[in-house]
Amino acid sequence: MDKLEGCPGSRMMDFNKTDKENTEPAVGKINSQLTQWPIQMHLINPSAPYYQGADVLLTADCVAYALGDFHRDYLKDKSIAIACPKLDQGQDVYLEKIKAWIDEAKINTLTVLIMQVPCCGGLLNLAQQAADGAKRKVPIKYVVVGVQGEILQEEWAAA
Amino acid sequence: MEAYLDKGIKEIIEEFPGVEDVLSDYDIGCGPCNVGICLLKDIVAIHRLSDEQESQLMARIARAIDPDQDIRIPHAEKKTGTKPKDFTYSPPMKKLVDEHVLIKRWIALIPEVVKNLDVESEEGRRLILDGIDMIRSYADKYHHAKEEDILFKYFDEEADILKVMHEDHTRARALVKEMLAALEKRDKQTIVENLTAYRELLSEHIRKEDEILYPWMDNQLSTHQVGELFAKFDTVDRQIDVSPRKYEAFIDQLEKKIKKQEG
Repeated sequence: MDKLEGCPGSRMMDFNKTDKENTEPAVGKINSQLTQWPIQMHLINPSAPYYQGADVLLTADCVAYALGDFHRDYLKDKSIAIACPKLDQGQDVYLEKIKAWIDEAKINTLTVLIMQVPCCGGLLNLAQQAADGAKRKVPIKYVVVGVQGEILQEEWAAA
Repeated sequence: MEAYLDKGIKEIIEEFPGVEDVLSDYDIGCGPCNVGICLLKDIVAIHRLSDEQESQLMARIARAIDPDQDIRIPHAEKKTGTKPKDFTYSPPMKKLVDEHVLIKRWIALIPEVVKNLDVESEEGRRLILDGIDMIRSYADKYHHAKEEDILFKYFDEEADILKVMHEDHTRARALVKEMLAALEKRDKQTIVENLTAYRELLSEHIRKEDEILYPWMDNQLSTHQVGELFAKFDTVDRQIDVSPRKYEAFIDQLEKKIKKQEG
């Protein structure tokens, strides 16, 4: 990597737009699958009714911009919270909120969507740390998204 | 030739025995299966072969069916989401796979147990009863019940692959029943035969589940269903009157005893 390119999380890249335009299927209006507000991790209340027994997405901020089919393939039928493990302050609060999802809201599953850049791994670590500290166990899935929206990895973490 | 895709694999193997060897080369062990009602198309689809492997397999099956003709068997339709990769089980499936470990440890001890089987002494009969209890309580009530009462309900129970699993469970229960009757009569030979048959049956059954059935099921289950299964299995574990620790202790002791006898 060129020295000037710096951190992979903030390295400048220009994707080939022409190729994407050629592969884009013709579709009509795409409806939002978002069923709640707020969504930012500092603003959400983990005890909100839409988290009770839910399948929850914990998504890195950039994911929804990179992943073309985010609403249809991942957000549909799920509750959500978003966060940036690199830039957000006070992430100890996040840890407690994830624990509250598991123990108090009794969520059904937790899916953590992160970008491929190294700093994003912090969000998965945070989720696993919270799950380890929780009294209940829930299945945790993690999905790693490439910067051009490709799914690089989709696995269940050990419960 | 499309008709072969809709034929039961046992029927195909009986007519063209070479097909069994071809399947074995791809770790598809239909030969020893005692039911064999799965259709060729389902077997190919369920084993998550790469497109290249599947094409090779189909070409070899075609040659095994008729070496003289250029037979083409159509591509089997893959179940959605199946792809060749290093598989990671979902947490509820992992739980079932982990439960297999203790059953496999018991199965591994059966040849030695059979060698020294004693139906006359109290101690000998106790060992047989404890082994049967391990099969009935841990393998059947604790483990198979999770499959039959919970997991299989998420799928079409009329599917051939599930019928095969049910048949294996039924056969295992029949073997146990016969063993208990034989123990009453001090019929050592029948117990030896049935324990050996149980070992063969469960070894193949577990292999089919770990390598084929569970990965296939995991590919079909939604994230929501995985969470549901995980919670339901957890409820069973908390409510059932079977203690896995008791059976772990039984296997630990038996392994030590056999090791001592061998040493």
